[in-house]
Amino acid sequence: MTEVARGDPGQGSYLPAVAMGDRDAFERLYDRYAPAIYAFLVRILGDTADAQEVLQETFVQIWGRAASYDSARGSEIAWLVSISRSRAIDRLRSRRTREARENEAAKEISNRDSYVVRLNAADAAVVSQEREAVRQALGTIPENQRVALELSYFEGLSQSEIAVRLDEPLGTIKTRMQLGMKKLKERLESTRGLR
Amino acid sequence: MTHEEFDDLAALDAVGAATEEERDELQRHRSGCDLCRESERGYHDAASMLALSLEPVAPPEEIKESIIRNIETMEATGEDLDEEDAPERTGFSRWWLAAAAVYFVALFAWSELRVQAHREHLLALEATAQRLTEENQRLQRSTEALRTQIASIAGPQTSMIALAGRELAPSASGRVFLDAGSRRAFVFFHDLPPNAQDRSYQLWIIPKEPASPMSAGVFDPGQDGRATLVVENLPAATEIQGLAVTVEPKGGVSAPSGAMILSSS
Repeated sequence: MTEVARGDPGQGSYLPAVAMGDRDAFERLYDRYAPAIYAFLVRILGDTADAQEVLQETFVQIWGRAASYDSARGSEIAWLVSISRSRAIDRLRSRRTREARENEAAKEISNRDSYVVRLNAADAAVVSQEREAVRQALGTIPENQRVALELSYFEGLSQSEIAVRLDEPLGTIKTRMQLGMKKLKERLESTRGLR
Repeated sequence: MTHEEFDDLAALDAVGAATEEERDELQRHRSGCDLCRESERGYHDAASMLALSLEPVAPPEEIKESIIRNIETMEATGEDLDEEDAPERTGFSRWWLAAAAVYFVALFAWSELRVQAHREHLLALEATAQRLTEENQRLQRSTEALRTQIASIAGPQTSMIALAGRELAPSASGRVFLDAGSRRAFVFFHDLPPNAQDRSYQLWIIPKEPASPMSAGVFDPGQDGRATLVVENLPAATEIQGLAVTVEPKGGVSAPSGAMILSSS
């Protein structure tokens, strides 16, 4: 079918075509990654309305800046996640309402009205494999390292803020995060190497 | 800075925890070291996996439409900016028209009013035409999407699978139209009972090989118990044995664990 064939690089990168102004490729990019990024934004912001706004801003920015993507600096999804995280953390810091985010997010998601849900089975399968690998990798790192990483990545806290939150010395927090990231990177590289 | 020091800072930077000074140090070292750039890429990919560890949640369909509209507006605005000398032309035109108007007022006082009214009418028509063009484009996209969906559902390569409610929701039902050509499925659910706030429905594809179910996504029905899903990029080589819906913790799980609500026979 023409609609499917255009702008569809299989599991390759859509961004070069998007940078050329290919609207179909952009829509495919959105269909592939929006559910993962939306879940990520809800996790950070704890508010579906905010997450939806940031999701829109993120993809409009992606459309405008696709040409600046450099595959040497990271994968396509890493670039998209980086843009969305940056916008979400900016919003989070300016909003300063961090309490009970997960509970609120869960409540609002359950209150959604009926709508057409667009899912992608192949992408879901690929992402599901990655997700399982990450969960396994996360399961292998000590909890105190994982907590420090999550406070930084999902809540945008600085090293000092994490140290205060966990009542630990700054040097300890820094070491925990470095060890956690190194272990996570090694595990993921090893998982990919086995495929 | 040594490679090891760079590595330590890159690990922090990937999760957004590097300080401004540390980011500056990374920037200085990065440009001259391929090894460190490669290592940094690994950390960024690993950090992005933290985001992907979350179960995907499909955003409302209108978000995508809104993004497309924003992009079209940006493009339209860009076209307007290209005509930066337009105000000058307008000024000249106004001056010339004013002089002409004086001339016509002197000769035909009533004609200026007609010219003015005509110009306003023309501007209003142009604005209306612009709005209609945009609306037409939106409707064309919508029509094309609907046409594609109808063609898929009615196509010779499309098969239908009925889903029947199980013990927990005997009145629930579903119909799945599988289009082998486009590897797409249209799924329509009816009379799904509402879930507890910490639960969602999860759709599973059950392939013949391998036997383990594949998640096709998480969804919640509307208050009327209905939900419509479009599942794209179905596994090409895998023959689908059936589909099922289970109740799972909010956000979904990697393998079915909750009660089965619907399944194909």
